Amino acid sequence: MKISRREWLRLAAAFGATRFWGQQAGDVQRAPLFVEVPASQSGINWVHDNAMSPEHYLPETLGPGCAFLDFDNDGWMDIFLVNSGPCDFWKPAKPVRNALYKNNRDGTFTDVTEKAGVSGAAFGMGIAVGDYDNDGWPDIFVTAYGKCTLYRNNHDGTFTDVTEKAGVATPGWTTSAVWFDYDNDGRLDLFVCSFVDYSGEHKFECGDNKIGKKYYCIPRVFRPTASFLYHNNGDGTFTEVSKGTDIAKALGKGLGVVATDINNDGRMDLFVANDTVQNFLFVNRGPGANGKWKWEEIALQAGVGFSESGQARSGMGVDATDLNSSGWQDLFVANVDHEMFSVYQNNQDETFRDVAQANEVAQATRLLSGWGLKYFDYDNDGSVDLILANGHPDDMIDGYSMQVKYKEPLLLFHQGNDRKLHNVSGQAGPAFQKFLPARGLAVGDFDNDGALDVLIGNNGGPPLLLKNQAAKAENWLGLKLEGVQSNRDGVGARIIWTAGGRKHQRLKNNGGSYLSSHDPREVLGIGSVPKIDEVEIHWPAPSKQIDKITALPINRYVRVVEGKGILGERKGD
Amino acid sequence: MWRAFFLLVLTLDAIAQSPQELVNDAIAKQRAGDLEGAVKGYREFLKEHPEATPIRSNLGAALVGLGQFQEAITEYKIALKQSPSAPGLRLNLALAYYKTGRIGDATDELVRVHKESPGNSQATVLLADCYMRMGQNKDVIRVLRPEQQKHRDDMAFVYLLGTALIRDHQVSEGQVLVDQILRNGDSAEAHLMLGTSKMEAADFAGAREELAKAVALNPDLPGVHVLYGQALQVTSGPEEATKEFKSELAIDPYNYMANLQIGATLRQEQKFDEAKPYLERALATRPGDLAVRYQLAAIALSEGKADEARRELESIVKESPSFTEAHVSLSIAYFRLKRPTDGNREKSIVEKLTAEAQAKQPGMKAR
Repeated sequence: MKISRREWLRLAAAFGATRFWGQQAGDVQRAPLFVEVPASQSGINWVHDNAMSPEHYLPETLGPGCAFLDFDNDGWMDIFLVNSGPCDFWKPAKPVRNALYKNNRDGTFTDVTEKAGVSGAAFGMGIAVGDYDNDGWPDIFVTAYGKCTLYRNNHDGTFTDVTEKAGVATPGWTTSAVWFDYDNDGRLDLFVCSFVDYSGEHKFECGDNKIGKKYYCIPRVFRPTASFLYHNNGDGTFTEVSKGTDIAKALGKGLGVVATDINNDGRMDLFVANDTVQNFLFVNRGPGANGKWKWEEIALQAGVGFSESGQARSGMGVDATDLNSSGWQDLFVANVDHEMFSVYQNNQDETFRDVAQANEVAQATRLLSGWGLKYFDYDNDGSVDLILANGHPDDMIDGYSMQVKYKEPLLLFHQGNDRKLHNVSGQAGPAFQKFLPARGLAVGDFDNDGALDVLIGNNGGPPLLLKNQAAKAENWLGLKLEGVQSNRDGVGARIIWTAGGRKHQRLKNNGGSYLSSHDPREVLGIGSVPKIDEVEIHWPAPSKQIDKITALPINRYVRVVEGKGILGERKGD
Repeated sequence: MWRAFFLLVLTLDAIAQSPQELVNDAIAKQRAGDLEGAVKGYREFLKEHPEATPIRSNLGAALVGLGQFQEAITEYKIALKQSPSAPGLRLNLALAYYKTGRIGDATDELVRVHKESPGNSQATVLLADCYMRMGQNKDVIRVLRPEQQKHRDDMAFVYLLGTALIRDHQVSEGQVLVDQILRNGDSAEAHLMLGTSKMEAADFAGAREELAKAVALNPDLPGVHVLYGQALQVTSGPEEATKEFKSELAIDPYNYMANLQIGATLRQEQKFDEAKPYLERALATRPGDLAVRYQLAAIALSEGKADEARRELESIVKESPSFTEAHVSLSIAYFRLKRPTDGNREKSIVEKLTAEAQAKQPGMKAR
């Protein structure tokens, strides 16, 4: 259903949403920040099948992930949606498949899944997109309960399953994954989160709940597992390199991961959200004396492993960004209801402190369970904002909780001039008044207008595509980074830009959210400032090249190649 | 109780006429409600006759009436030193401790009274109440059970014993007493006990309904707002719960649970200065309580007072070696104090405790 401006104003009044965020003058009613693009308009008719059964097998409630990616390199973001599939506890009565939608460049999409060969044949969970072979074409890794899959891009709209050949056939139940270059050799490596040990012919059941029905066990009851790190050998194959490191020693129940650099040492670290056990912060210490790469797990001492009360929480979605323009990466983790989410501010000494209370995040999330999320500048004013996708994992929670619901609303936070995140969900549009079983969330500009849109994967339902209308009046520049010596996707690059006398910087992290993958381009918002004076790209090792670019265009995407500067541009639509 | 002490004034033949008049005047003032005047008269008399234990006891009663509990405690203690076996003195001292929230001290005195005068029903019930406030449900049952037959029609007694039984998970026995209260009509006590049973069974919504009824029927029933607040904490949230905890504190400023819950909520909201007075009052009620001490240590850690936090946390884990949260916080404190060896040792303990807890999970055996 498309909401007209008139309908929005009526709804806004009904919800008391007559004020905009911040200190807008008067009670002027404006268009919603985001509007839903209905399936009838987008052509995205795919629906997630969560395989929900009376037995309530745990994998049923965890998916799905989603992604924005430009699989055909036409400069327009396409969409990938992960679905469940056959496994040891489920044999679908009718075919169930993933979906790859090609962007038709007019706000509509065409399902090209079959042709692309990415239907999948397992109980899919999440997706991580990255150009692991540096050929300029994005490849896809799909995690699963069961067989995960690496799809190599054939450059012709099709993909080949190279999982076995590449050596990334990961056992067990994989969830989020991230591509990043941990050893700075110019090739993307792969980290894969492993959830609980759910193996065995007979699945453990937790009995009946208060209304006499089987329910999804709390993951606390299951055995934890170690996650996996694969090194990219540069020949299309990978070697698992986590054995003997803290990554293999740390038994967790991983659901979310973000690759970032928490100590500004030029090496990408990993923050992993675990469900019902402590989170992990794997700091990349580089090669050890024995030549083996050293990872140090420091979440406890860093203050991000447990709650302020020393308790392990149910971590799900994560992200990292430089929230307060300090030049250091801050972290975020979403938890389940009554645990509140955490906004971890970097103390610049490998420790963090939770500032969720001061940022309106703690109170807003007290009753919610968070999964997909993203720090991004939705209104292109130059400050980082935040979106959260929520939903309780227990489909029967409404039956025995007076306040916590199975379907929950999205939340949107805007960073004000006071450098605090303010909850503006009430003003964000009718989509933010809806209650959803949301899981994955990806951010991307599907219509190339410079305003980052949002895609949400709903458990057992259709995805939600939100068009961003909040950044129309602001100026921006979109960068598609292309590494040459450094990894092709430019993961780990630091972007510094100056506009209107204000200096901004951003580290190109990768991963984050939950089971999902974002638009790889970076949109630099500059608000009403008419131009960007200069952009510096600090490419990661091995080159560590610094490119300074002036005479920059505005309100369009540019292709920036390491060592060569801008090699092409596309006007914003 | 306090009134009884007016009668304890002995004849003062040995005292000169003027002091006698002074005492008579003070007693008259106390009876008339002029407590300040009475205190003045008693103090003047005691300057000349500090050995007059009954008059000092009267002074204590007048001070209690003025709410000057600490001064009353001082006078009672002197009086007890002078006449250790004087009837009623120790009970009054216990009551003064009770009123100031020093439940541990009150209990110590009441244990002696109960031992010396096992038939003193007031002391027995008060001792049981102290045990309940300290969460020692088994002691409540131990003290009250022998008296059960004698007090079978005393609903306050039945309520206290029934609540202790339910909280001690002896639900079926407790239910018998609940039924007894229910037979007496729709009472706040009955709903409170039913609410307690439902809380024990994790039926929080059901507990909330019962406790709301109890509050409506008798908002002054001791403990009713705390339990209702706890039910609201789970089913609604801290705002509504805190309102109830504050209602309890209006009746009983030293209620342990109300103070702890408000303190913990404020700590979670990072309002540390507001949290501390509540936690300190909870600690006064239950001296040495680990939960309260952990909250205070966690505040110290959050405020950057790592060494202060370390000292308290070291003491906590010594007393309770399997207190995982305390080991987590202690590890963080050591790292902040640049003591990585100690920090890593605590971290290993956290990992060991976590693994042990995980090994007990039912799904571990699933294959």
